[in-house]
Amino acid sequence: MTSGMERAMATTDLKTGSLERHGLSDEQLRDMFRNMLLQRQLDNRGFQLNRQGKVPFALGSEGHEALQAGAAMAFHRGRDILAPYYRDLGLCLGIGLSPFEIMLSIFARADDHNGGRQFPNHYSSKAAGLMSFSSILAAHLPHAVGAAYAIKYRGETGRAVLATCGDGTTSEGEWHESMNFAAVHKLPFVMLVENNEWAISTPLDKQMAEPEIWKRAAGYGMPGRRFNGFDPIETYAAVKEAMDRARSGDGPTLVEGTCYRYLAHSTDDNDLTYRTREVVQERRKDDPVPAFEALLLEHGIVTADGVAAMRQDVLRETNEATDAAEALPYPEPTDLYKHVYEGAWEPWQP
Amino acid sequence: METKPRLRDEQLIAIFRTMLMQRTLENRGFQLNRQGKIPFASASEGHEAVQAGAAMAFERGKDILVPYYRDLGLALGIGVTPYEVLLSLFARAADHSAGRQFPHHYASRRLGLHTISSIIAAQLPHAVGAAFALQYRGEAGRAVLTTFGDGATSEGEWHESINFAAVHKLPIVFLCENNEWAISTPLTRQMGQPDVYKRAEGYGIPGSVVDGMDPIACYEAVDDALQRARSGGGPSLVEAKCYRFLSHTTDDDDRTYRSPDEVKARRKDDPVPCFERLLAEHGILNGEQAEALKRSVLEETNDATDRAEAMAYPDAADLYEKVYAEGWEPWIV
Repeated sequence: MTSGMERAMATTDLKTGSLERHGLSDEQLRDMFRNMLLQRQLDNRGFQLNRQGKVPFALGSEGHEALQAGAAMAFHRGRDILAPYYRDLGLCLGIGLSPFEIMLSIFARADDHNGGRQFPNHYSSKAAGLMSFSSILAAHLPHAVGAAYAIKYRGETGRAVLATCGDGTTSEGEWHESMNFAAVHKLPFVMLVENNEWAISTPLDKQMAEPEIWKRAAGYGMPGRRFNGFDPIETYAAVKEAMDRARSGDGPTLVEGTCYRYLAHSTDDNDLTYRTREVVQERRKDDPVPAFEALLLEHGIVTADGVAAMRQDVLRETNEATDAAEALPYPEPTDLYKHVYEGAWEPWQP
Repeated sequence: METKPRLRDEQLIAIFRTMLMQRTLENRGFQLNRQGKIPFASASEGHEAVQAGAAMAFERGKDILVPYYRDLGLALGIGVTPYEVLLSLFARAADHSAGRQFPHHYASRRLGLHTISSIIAAQLPHAVGAAFALQYRGEAGRAVLTTFGDGATSEGEWHESINFAAVHKLPIVFLCENNEWAISTPLTRQMGQPDVYKRAEGYGIPGSVVDGMDPIACYEAVDDALQRARSGGGPSLVEAKCYRFLSHTTDDDDRTYRSPDEVKARRKDDPVPCFERLLAEHGILNGEQAEALKRSVLEETNDATDRAEAMAYPDAADLYEKVYAEGWEPWIV
């Protein structure tokens, strides 16, 4: 898997002089970088709040920032549908969720989109086109394919579904069934795999015999592509190409972004029981956040002062969102039967 | 088709006899159903070559077979008798499953034949589990042969099974009998590209495709794959392209979804007369010998039919037997 990563890295070197920006403006590049900073800040905040005993659980997405900020930039807000998995904090921020909404989810407050009833980091937003998450691996993919089928069935053009998953999910039967169904019916669907090499504690070589997931695309009769998920610009270009193909009626695509999971699977996991600190430390050299910062500085798209101001702003926004969400009440126990059926409800009486 | 030295004359004739027996028994199943004597039979006409060829590559007493419900010829080829097949169709008490399993769902511990699942692809995790057991126990020289149709390749269990076998380099061969029809669903509505074997690369295992109407080619492809599996070389995916000439089962009317003309056009590839011609051409079996073979197959089928029909149905009082290994107690409200 390391060799695959090295090959992917070789295609784009963030430290080279000429910047291939794939049509992205300076402002968009800065937006992506801010999104990456915000994701990391909020990710760490979740872990801090958990260790302080204030939230029961949070998920770690460090290492996925570039991939998610780049993919979000290729998503058309108000048109496309996003069916993400539970490690997609940056993708959700990128399509319009606010840090306050993230904090409402983590704190499980009544004002949360799900009334504080969903798992932490499992957002949903009808306004943003964001489907509710599943904690069950791959369970969201038949739903995502169903949404793509609906778009095609209704004859709606210019819309597509972006679904994401980790490498572990590719071993699930639903993954296969969804890919096959999307291929047979040429649905407006993009399957984005965020390959971080770890399925909780299972390493890639115990998850699959062929480490390059994109190679499965040919077997389904759809295009497949692999890209360096530490490069937000390359990610944007790959996901945009696939989304444009889907939106114009040319069917589904499998895109695989290589990245790495720097933190434990979640606040409930201790990754030192199955990998060494040194292994993770070694991979930190590819950390997409400082690498993208260096690239933007080098090309004069941001200044050091600008970056410092951005960091301060992201921290302020995170602090404010934390305080505002924490101050809100939990859901009332009497609301238990709400949001189960539309309209009047009647609790079940034995 | 061309004869290859890998098979001796007597093996080629044995393959042909299995093909004849499969076809005769299969038609017998349909006849008995139309006579109202049995409730159901499934159809495998068009699969004779792939099944007789694959069975010849199977090592009786060593390998394990985990087939699907359209594998009459494979079951015959590894040693299930026509009488056992008819006991299954007639659902008699003397059947391996005591007349409780679905028709054509044989099982034989003696022959290494797993019981058959009617649920598409449900047999594959079991097959992979058996292969894992072989590897776990360090039993060298043994492998699992598992089969399925093209429709099964769309099931999640298919994917999970092949991926697991690939990760653990298990001694197993996945043989797809691609007959172009999943009951009434044609191949074009089943998959985005028609070659199942091309999926092998994505799993990191070897994949091959073979003319499923050619028993010798099928034998060689399955033999290569089984030998690789037995010697620790890991799993393979073999796709045999064949055709389903009859309805899915006696309960299906294929005229509602495909034209008789289409089926008729494909009859030119019918593997049974094709192989008969090939054997005659090479002086392996002359016309008289072929006729004698057909007569003996018919006699055996008639005899098996009469014997099985004369046997008793299971006793209603046996309902709770063979549920638990030890003593049993029916559940009382």
